[in-house]
Amino acid sequence: MKHVPHRPFTLAAAALTAAALGLTGCSSEGSGGGGGGEDDGTFTLGFAVGGQPDADWQDLQGDVAQALAEQRGWDFVELSNDNSEATATTNADLFIQEGVDLVMMFNGQPSANPVIAKKYEDAGIPVITFDIAQEGWYFVGVDNAAAGTAGGTALGEVAKAEWDCEVDLVISAEGTSAGQINEWRTGNAREAVAEVCPDIPEDAYVSYEADGNLTTSLQNAPGVFAANPDAENILVVGINDQAVVGALQAATQLGRDDNIMGWGQDGGLITGDNVDPNLAGSVMYFLEGYPAFAFEIADAIAAGDVPEVKDTGDDAAVSVKPCPVSQEEAAEVPSIDERVAALADAEQGTTAYDLFCPAAAG
Amino acid sequence: MTAPVTAADPAPSRPRRRPPRADARSSAGLRDALTIAAVWLLLGTVTALVRPDFLSTQTLLAVTFTMAVAGVLAVSQGLVVISGGLLDLSLPVALILSAWVTVSLLGAGLPTIVAVLAGPLTGAAWGLLNGLIIVYGKLNPIIVTLATGFGGLAIMLVLFKSAQIPSGSELRAFGLGRTLGLPNVFWPMVILIVLTGLAVAYTRWGRRMVAVGGNAVAAKARGLSLPRTRLAVFGGAGAIAGFAGVLFCSVNPSFTPNAGAGFQLIVIAAVILAGISLSGGKGNFLVLLLSVGFLSTIPVSIAFFGLPPAWSLVFQGGLLILAVGIDGYRMRRSAR
Repeated sequence: MKHVPHRPFTLAAAALTAAALGLTGCSSEGSGGGGGGEDDGTFTLGFAVGGQPDADWQDLQGDVAQALAEQRGWDFVELSNDNSEATATTNADLFIQEGVDLVMMFNGQPSANPVIAKKYEDAGIPVITFDIAQEGWYFVGVDNAAAGTAGGTALGEVAKAEWDCEVDLVISAEGTSAGQINEWRTGNAREAVAEVCPDIPEDAYVSYEADGNLTTSLQNAPGVFAANPDAENILVVGINDQAVVGALQAATQLGRDDNIMGWGQDGGLITGDNVDPNLAGSVMYFLEGYPAFAFEIADAIAAGDVPEVKDTGDDAAVSVKPCPVSQEEAAEVPSIDERVAALADAEQGTTAYDLFCPAAAG
Repeated sequence: MTAPVTAADPAPSRPRRRPPRADARSSAGLRDALTIAAVWLLLGTVTALVRPDFLSTQTLLAVTFTMAVAGVLAVSQGLVVISGGLLDLSLPVALILSAWVTVSLLGAGLPTIVAVLAGPLTGAAWGLLNGLIIVYGKLNPIIVTLATGFGGLAIMLVLFKSAQIPSGSELRAFGLGRTLGLPNVFWPMVILIVLTGLAVAYTRWGRRMVAVGGNAVAAKARGLSLPRTRLAVFGGAGAIAGFAGVLFCSVNPSFTPNAGAGFQLIVIAAVILAGISLSGGKGNFLVLLLSVGFLSTIPVSIAFFGLPPAWSLVFQGGLLILAVGIDGYRMRRSAR
């Protein structure tokens, strides 16, 4: 098992490559992970974490992957893409030189992915990508369509229980720049609310641009409430927790928070000390646990049973199950560090959804 | 009328133009105020004709809430512009950095008064940093603040991922409360604009700042220290942006480092629309209150028309271009 920090690894790889070139007269093989590194037959997993500065879960994805690789007795090489196209591209060269058999990665700067894909294709190394699709790479990501439906259904059921579906306004806090993901999460949520409460009139559904963040949502939502002065029972769905909480906060500012409930996406603001009292729930994705889903593919590849490549969000190689949780249930979900530790100790094939989602527990 | 001649004046016998002063009492200020008020009234009338329920306390709450933070930032930007500092493009950093310091201190259990004072102090430090680079580096303020804006954002991304104000804090309670039926955060903005307007128009400090902005050469000839004045303006404007950060965190329970970006357009548009000239030395802060109110009404009206909020950016951007055009026309006209 090797866990190599980026800079030392770069130096070591450079030295190793130079030595290897000197000894072999620049000969190299580029297939199946038999590049510059010594191949003793042990399966080697290369893992590139995203390295975005505002996302601890990306580093924790590496921790989970390392633990799962150790469970299997695989070699493990971890690098950070440092949220940089150039670093992600360099990392591809390093993985190839290291002779990895499979790469898992999250690259927050996907414009470099076509170049990286060509390198791996030439080297014959399969790639599993998280959340950002690339042709020819196994796609692992949350099932956004199912997430939207799950959130909308849960909110609709709360409205049914609390208000007998007498809803005057359904606000959708959008993040249109997310494209299809926004449509899946918010559009499906609206449809699911309508499914549970079919008598809500069509003109009671109002959308506005929240840009996926609380500040923009809080700036734009007051106009929506003012434009619907007679609405009493109000539901809010949105692209993420930030957008939904922005609307809930605007309702508070305008004195409209007596009968309002929201259901978010991503679980970003459903835990902790400052949960908005009107955020009824959220859909958690357990981002740190993506590798557990990805190892389904990795195990097959390691066993020589290479699965068909599915490389789009519509047709993912593995869809991460979204987990709807109420505010009360979310309070019982372990912290992210505890979840990583539990995943690392869990049996092979166990996912974060299996361990922590109340719905999985029945 | 000539300006007072000082002993340090290099050319005491040459008649000189009196440095421009804030035109709070001038016809230009009145004209700007009437124009904005008329357009604002037109917007309200058209919206109310289409949707009579526009004229409601909900609309008033929505507009005044939207005005609060943007209005304070507009005062900060207005001071920079009127003093000849062109524009401060790093205001979003001053805003969020100050908000972060404030909520961090509150989270650490420090008294509210300490945390609230730390906001403006942080903003002042940020403004002074900009001022020092601009004054002693003799660099273009727009380029400097553009660069520090990017750099500051990067530093904040390293410092924190997201920040949250303690839900039980007094500051948070203030942000959720109302006075005289309007959001608490609205009133400090009104008071600040009025006080700043009066100070710029009627105090020696204000007249010096306007003099430096209107004609730096003449102001220097009168013995005014340009570096000291510019540093004071950037420091003071930063402190006001820091105060905006305090108000911001009182109403935003959770925010990220780049949360201030959305204020840039409305703040610059409000300043230019208020007739605060980009060439410096001219402007009226009382008109700024009308300008901020008008621009804050646009997104609310948009919602009543059922249009996506992005349209408000289109209108605000269009108004900014129009206001810059009018400002340029006035400058050319006065130069003839």
